[in-house]
Amino acid sequence: MSSHSQHSESDIALRVKAIESLLVEKGIIDPATIDMIIDAYEHRIGPHNGARIVARAWVDPNFKQRLLTDGTSTIAELGLAGFSSEHMIVVENTPEVHNLIVCTLCSCYPWAILGLPPTWYKSFAYRSRAVIDPRGVLREFGLEISNHVEVRVWDSNADLRYLVLPERPLGTETMTEAALTSLVTRNAMIGTAKVQVPTPPELVA
Amino acid sequence: MNGPHDLGGMHNLGAIPIEVNEPVFHSEWEAKVFAMSFATFKNYFPVDETRHACERMPPGQYLSSSYYERWLYALELLLNEHHLVTKEEIEEWLAQFAHSQTSSKAD
Amino acid sequence: MELETSNECMTVEQAKELLRNGINCQIDSNEPGQFKVGDQVRAKVIHVQNYTRLPRYIRGKVGMIVKDYGIYVFPDAVGMRLGTKPQHIYSVRFTAQEIWGSDASAKDALYIDLFDDYLESV
Repeated sequence: MSSHSQHSESDIALRVKAIESLLVEKGIIDPATIDMIIDAYEHRIGPHNGARIVARAWVDPNFKQRLLTDGTSTIAELGLAGFSSEHMIVVENTPEVHNLIVCTLCSCYPWAILGLPPTWYKSFAYRSRAVIDPRGVLREFGLEISNHVEVRVWDSNADLRYLVLPERPLGTETMTEAALTSLVTRNAMIGTAKVQVPTPPELVA
Repeated sequence: MNGPHDLGGMHNLGAIPIEVNEPVFHSEWEAKVFAMSFATFKNYFPVDETRHACERMPPGQYLSSSYYERWLYALELLLNEHHLVTKEEIEEWLAQFAHSQTSSKAD
Repeated sequence: MELETSNECMTVEQAKELLRNGINCQIDSNEPGQFKVGDQVRAKVIHVQNYTRLPRYIRGKVGMIVKDYGIYVFPDAVGMRLGTKPQHIYSVRFTAQEIWGSDASAKDALYIDLFDDYLESV
C-alpha cells in the first residue's frame, strides 16, 4: 500500500501513461533516460551502500573518525556520493545517545546512500510525530529507549543529508567487514532500529 | 508557506505504515512519475521549485493523496506554468488513451 | 548550483552524471556568518507566503548553534527562482522542552539546519 489514495489506481496509471507519451512526443523526456533512472533506483542504488560505510567505520577507527568529522569526503572515498547525498552528516549512536532522522517538510533522505525512502519515512504519521514524540515513534518500531539515553532528532530540512552510524553489536568482534555489512539494516541507519546479531543456527530450536 | 506539508508536531495522523520487504516502487506508474520528475530536475526545474509545487497542492487534496500523486501534481503544475505542456493537451491525450483502451476492450 | 535551466531533454548521459555527482549547493567563500558556534539564537517568527524551509514548530524557539556548515544556496530564493542568495547555514540544537513544553523529555533534543536569514540574536 502506498498510502491513502483518493483516485483509483487504474485512473492514475492511465493518466501517467498519457502524460509520459505526451512528454516523449514533445521531446521533453527521453524514454531511454526514464528506463535508466528506474533501473538505477530499483537495482543499483540502495541501503547496501550505507551498510558498507557503517561496516568500514566499525572496523577502521581512523575512517570512523574522518566519517564523523567530514561525512561528505569520507563517504566519497568509497565512491559513494551522488544525487541527494551531496552534503553528508554522519551521527553516531552510543550508549548515551540515540539519533533519529526525519524530514518533516517533505521526505529528504540520502538517496545515493540508502536508496529511495520507504513509505513509512514519507508518511504523514512519521513526519508529524518523529519530532514531537520520538520515543513513541521508536516504540512503534519495537525500540524502547531508556530514559537515561538522550534521543536526538535531526530534521533534515535543508540540503544536508543525514546517516546514523549505529552501534556495533556485541558478539561481532571476530566478524569480517563483509559479514558485518550484511548485518546493517536500512532502519538502523535512519535510527528506527538497532543492528542485531543473528542467532547462531545451533541456538535456534 | 504555512501549508499542509509543514507537519512537524501535528497530531492524529495515524499509525506509521511499516511495510516488511517493501519494493522500491509499488506500481509501474509510481516508477514512471518518479523518473519523469527526476528527468526534469536541473534541466527544467530546480529541485526546490518541485518541492514547492508539491506544497502548493490544496491542503485537503494534499492530505488525501499518496506520495507519488503529490509528485504527479507538482510535475503537471510546473509543466503548465512554464508553458511546456498545457492542461488542455494533457486532457486531450488522456481522452485519446481512455478511448483507445475502451475500444481495445470492446474488440 | 545554477539557477538557469537549459530546458533541454535530459539525455541518459546527463542523468547518469546527475545520479553520480548530484547538485552542489555549497559555495566556496570565506564570507563570515552572522553567528558562531555556542551562540544562543532565536528562530524568527515569520510567515513567508511562498517557499521556505523554516518549519512552523521551530519559529520563536531559542536554541544553540552547534556547528557552522559554511555557505549554501538559500532554498527559499532558489525555489522561487529569485536567485541563490548564498548564506551560512548552521546546525542548531533545541531542547525538546523548549519546543514542546514541560511534558517533553528533559533529556531529549532536536537538531535542525537554519540559515542566517531564519535567525536572530537572543
